[in-house]
Formats: sequence, C-alpha cells, structure tokens
Amino acid sequence: MSDDGGWLNNYVNSLPERGWFKFLSKYVVVPYWVWREPKPKLPGGPRPSSQPSDNVQRMMNLLMPLKDTSPIGRAKAVMALAQNVDEIFAGLDNVGTVHSARFLLVEDYICMISVYDGDFSNYIRDFIATIGSVFDDLMHLVEGGEALYPCEDHVEEFIDWVKAHDLFQAPDYAINLLHVQDEAAGRSPDAPPHELLSLPRELILQLHSNRNISLGGGYRGYPGYSAAQVRDKLGVGW
Amino acid sequence: MDDPKLVEDIVHALDIEGGSAKRRPVHTIGIGATGVFEPSPVAKDFCTAEHFQPTEKPLEVAVRFSNGMGLVKEHDGWSDVRGMAVRFKLSNDRATDLISMTLPVFFAPTPETFLQFATAARPKECNRETPWQKIRDFLKLQIPMPDPYPGQETRPNEGATEFADKHAYAQPAVLQASVIGAPVSYVRASYHAVHTFIVTDPDGTDRWVRFNWQPIAGVLNTNPLDPPVGVYLKEDLEKRLAHGIERFSLMMTIGETGDDFNDSTKQWPPHRKRVMMGLLTLNDVPKDQEAHAEKLSFNPWLLTDGIRPSEDPVLKIRKDVYEFSSNRRGGIPCPFSGTEG
Ligand code: HEM
Repeated sequence: MSDDGGWLNNYVNSLPERGWFKFLSKYVVVPYWVWREPKPKLPGGPRPSSQPSDNVQRMMNLLMPLKDTSPIGRAKAVMALAQNVDEIFAGLDNVGTVHSARFLLVEDYICMISVYDGDFSNYIRDFIATIGSVFDDLMHLVEGGEALYPCEDHVEEFIDWVKAHDLFQAPDYAINLLHVQDEAAGRSPDAPPHELLSLPRELILQLHSNRNISLGGGYRGYPGYSAAQVRDKLGVGW
Repeated sequence: MDDPKLVEDIVHALDIEGGSAKRRPVHTIGIGATGVFEPSPVAKDFCTAEHFQPTEKPLEVAVRFSNGMGLVKEHDGWSDVRGMAVRFKLSNDRATDLISMTLPVFFAPTPETFLQFATAARPKECNRETPWQKIRDFLKLQIPMPDPYPGQETRPNEGATEFADKHAYAQPAVLQASVIGAPVSYVRASYHAVHTFIVTDPDGTDRWVRFNWQPIAGVLNTNPLDPPVGVYLKEDLEKRLAHGIERFSLMMTIGETGDDFNDSTKQWPPHRKRVMMGLLTLNDVPKDQEAHAEKLSFNPWLLTDGIRPSEDPVLKIRKDVYEFSSNRRGGIPCPFSGTEG
C-alpha cells in the first residue's frame, strides 16, 4: 500500500494489472529480454550435494510428453500402467529406496512423481533393472521414446532422457536462482553480485526456458531419514 | 568486552532519528506476555538443558514481542521484521533466553560487516520512484521500490538494497526483509533464532542446531495492498490472551557437517532433520508492562548447561551489544550485571 503520489503514479502502479500493459509485456518486453539475455534450460533433478539429508527423500518429477494426446492416446497410457501394477509394486519394493511414487496424467504428459533416497542415476538404473518392462511399454507412447526401446539396452541414454524430462528444481531460497544460473553459464562465484532487483527478470527468463519447474525441493514430514531407516524404526523391516 | 568501541559503534549505528536512547535502539515497540513451556517427550534426548527436561509443573516463561524498527512511534502495519524474545524461568532464580525474529537469516557474517551494513542501511529520506522510473523498471522486468507509506519520511530500503548489490552475503536477508510484510498478530508469525547453538545430549554428544518458533494458529500477514493500520498488535494480543491462550511449537533443526555453523547469512536447506522440542503456551498480558517488557533485558548469551553458543562472531558480539544497550536505557535486570559492563 502506498501513499498517494498523484494520479499518474497510481496509474503506473496499476500497469502490471492492465490488459494492454500485460499484452505489451508478453509480446514485446519478454521476447526482447529473451533475445537479449537468453537463459539455457536448466537440468532436472536435485543438484549434487555431499550432505546426508540432501541425499535422502529426493524428489523426481518426470514429465513424459504423450505422442497421442487424444482420449484414446491417454487411455493407452493409463492401460500401460494399469496392466503393470504388479510389476510396479514389486519393482519399487525391491528398489527399496523409494518413499512414495505415483503416476499422473496431467495435460499432455504422463508423469511419474516420486520420492527416493540416494543417487539419481542409480535410482533410474535400479528402476530399469526392476521395472524396465513398464517403461518399455510407456516408451512406445511418449515422444522420443522409440529410440530408448528396449530400456535395458539403452540404460545411459534412458538416464539422460529422464534427466532431460525431470523438472528443474528451483532452489529452496529464491536468491540462489542467480547462483544456479551463474553456474550453468560458467560465471565465477567470485564475480560481482547481481543486482537484487534483477531477480524477477532472471526468474521470468528462466521460466521461459523451463516452463515447468519444481518450486524448491519440497516439504518433508520427517526430513533427513531414508526409507530404510523409517521402515526399520517402524519395525516393518526389509 | 572484546572490543568496546565496536560495540558502541554498532549501537550508535542502530540509533536513528525517531528513536530514543532511553528505549531499545531496535525492537523499540513491544509487548510482554507470560505463559508456560512444556518440553516435548523427546526434547531431553537431544539436550540436557533444564528447560528440556520433563517436569511436573510446566516452566514459566516471559515473552516480549516487538517490531524490529527503532522508532518510538508505532507503525504496526508497516512491513517490518518482528521479534520474539523468550525467557525460560529455571530453578533457583536462574533463567535462559531464546531471542528470535521473523527473518530467518542475518544481514552480515561478522560484526565489522554488520556495522558497515547498519551504516549503509540507516534510514534515509524516502526516494519515491517517479512514474517514468517505474515504467523503466517494468520494461526491465523489475519490480519498482514500493511507494513510501503515508507519513513515512525515511526508510532503510534504498540503502540496504544498494549495499546488497555490492555485498552478496547481504542479499538473502535484504531480499526477505523487503517482502516480509506485517503479521495480523504477533502470534501469527514464525520466529527464527537464526544463529547456531550447540546442544549436548545425555550421552555427551554435541549437535549444532537452529531454533524456530512456529505458531500453532498458523502464519498470516495482512494484505499489503490494504492501507496499513497504525496500531493494532498490542491490542490484538491483549484481546486474545484475555479470552484464551495462544501457542507456539519450538522446532530445532539439526545441522550437518558442511553446513555453516558460524555464519548466519547462510540459511540451511529445509531438509535437515527437525525435532519438536516443546510447546509454549501464552496466557496473559501483564498489566505492568514497564516491568514485564520495557525494563527486561534479554540476551542471547543467557544460556544454561546443555546449550552453548556457536563460534558465530555476530552471536558473540551480541552479548556485549545487548548489555551495552540495556545499561544505556537503564534496563533491569541485566542478565550479565555483575560482569563487566
Ligand atoms: C549484530 C547483530 C545484532 C545486533 C547488533 C543487535 C542489536 C540489538 C540491540 C541493541 C537490541 C536492544 C537490546 C536491549 O536494549 O535490550 C536488540 C534487541 C533485539 N534483537 Fe537484536 N541485534 C542483532 C541481531 C539479532 C538477531 C540475529 C536477532 C534474532 C535472531 C535479533 C533479535 C532481537 C530481538 C527480538 C530484540 C528485542 C529483545 C527484547 O524484546 O527485549 N537481533 N538487538
């Protein structure tokens, strides 16, 4: 809330909510900045860390674009999973590091959302070993999937594909977006700081490159514990 | 006192026009409340300090809520950091304090850099952006500085932002302070003790931890688009406690090797192990606010066996800064009176 700085000031304050200004911003201002300061798409998944609680309960938000987005195409994706429930449950039980996992059909994507412990590549590798058949079925239905079929024979490519389709996880604290961008751009951590006021622009430009993102690493009800520790403490063992 | 000149310089840097040397230089406006603290059943497994041991009778506490700014005139509705200072009353007339604020991170890693920050961020005449400057901001996809509040003549915003543009360590705190807003009630905000403390468990194991009070009623700010109300926070608390109680949980986050234990400009990731240490229940606003709030002197170094300060140099200097400030305004009882002043 501001004091009254005159009608022009009040009008300018309201610009971000005015249709014509939103139109101008969307079709002129943002494209100009995208042209001037393009941001590379930032990779998915959690960033590497050697600290214990950063390596448990990690989040995967895998968005796989459907080839056929019609109700029939969507139904095929649902069927592929519904017919493999046993494979999925047995596989996840055997991977052992998964806290929770679920599949969603959202807009034009079939999504796998999961919480797992440990290294991302190893998680995916375990996955292929244990539920590769489910992904094989899915790969026929998603864009770019054919080249990965069968997953078992394309493990490394599959891992790269998953990384590319897992959502970028924005840092937990807003200001750190600048540091993640700097790192991606090879800017030295000792370079002079960014202007604080540039943060909204940096965010907008990043969202141009990463349309879908995870807002931080999420909330945890029992942070810092692995699935194995929780099960062990609960006496439901492995 | 390690460096009396630095301590004095810091307090003087905090003194602003509209403040008073007879009052606190920051967190000037406040209200005292009383209540009880009950440790959670697991608290004793993590810390041997008296207030975390099971007791038959809950421990009495004195709390002072405050507005961070150093003005003697109340501006409850302005965006500002709020404070919550808690004194746990232990046996044999001893006590221990836990001082926290709504900002989870601090502006500077050392007393010297804090002095620089405090000097740079001294309130200056509000620099209202012209409509053209605002349009330029929008075209740069930036958010203009907020207009001053009605009647606001000076503010720290411009100086703090300028400082943060040159000193990356100040950016997290300046950014978060710039959008902190005003709580609808002192009991609808989450307060952070910010610094790292070391707690010792019954086996003698030390853990590096940070404390945080979370309101059971939930966090809620006023709508920043509504005109700010000048004075409401004290009355709100009086009303709430006249009719009932308000509660906070005390959460303790456990740091890990690799976390910054001695630098409170570095927030720990939110995935660290977190322990529920106890429940604070507020039940009264004492009538004599002079004794129960204004004259009280909290100090982050008023600790007790089982909990000790980290090596954070800012935490270190706060001991003397609070003592100096308390002596200057005639605060009683100063927890360190008896030690050199
Ligand atoms: C260099 C760092 C800091 C300095 C120099 C400083 C300075 C001061 C001073 C001089 C007072 C008045 C004390 C009195 O007269 O009793 C005060 C009060 C207070 N400070 Fe700080 N402070 C610092 C950091 C912090 C931090 C990190 C927090 C929160 C975690 C904090 C929270 C508070 C609160 C809540 C009060 C009000 C206490 C009351 O209600 O009596 N301060 N501070």
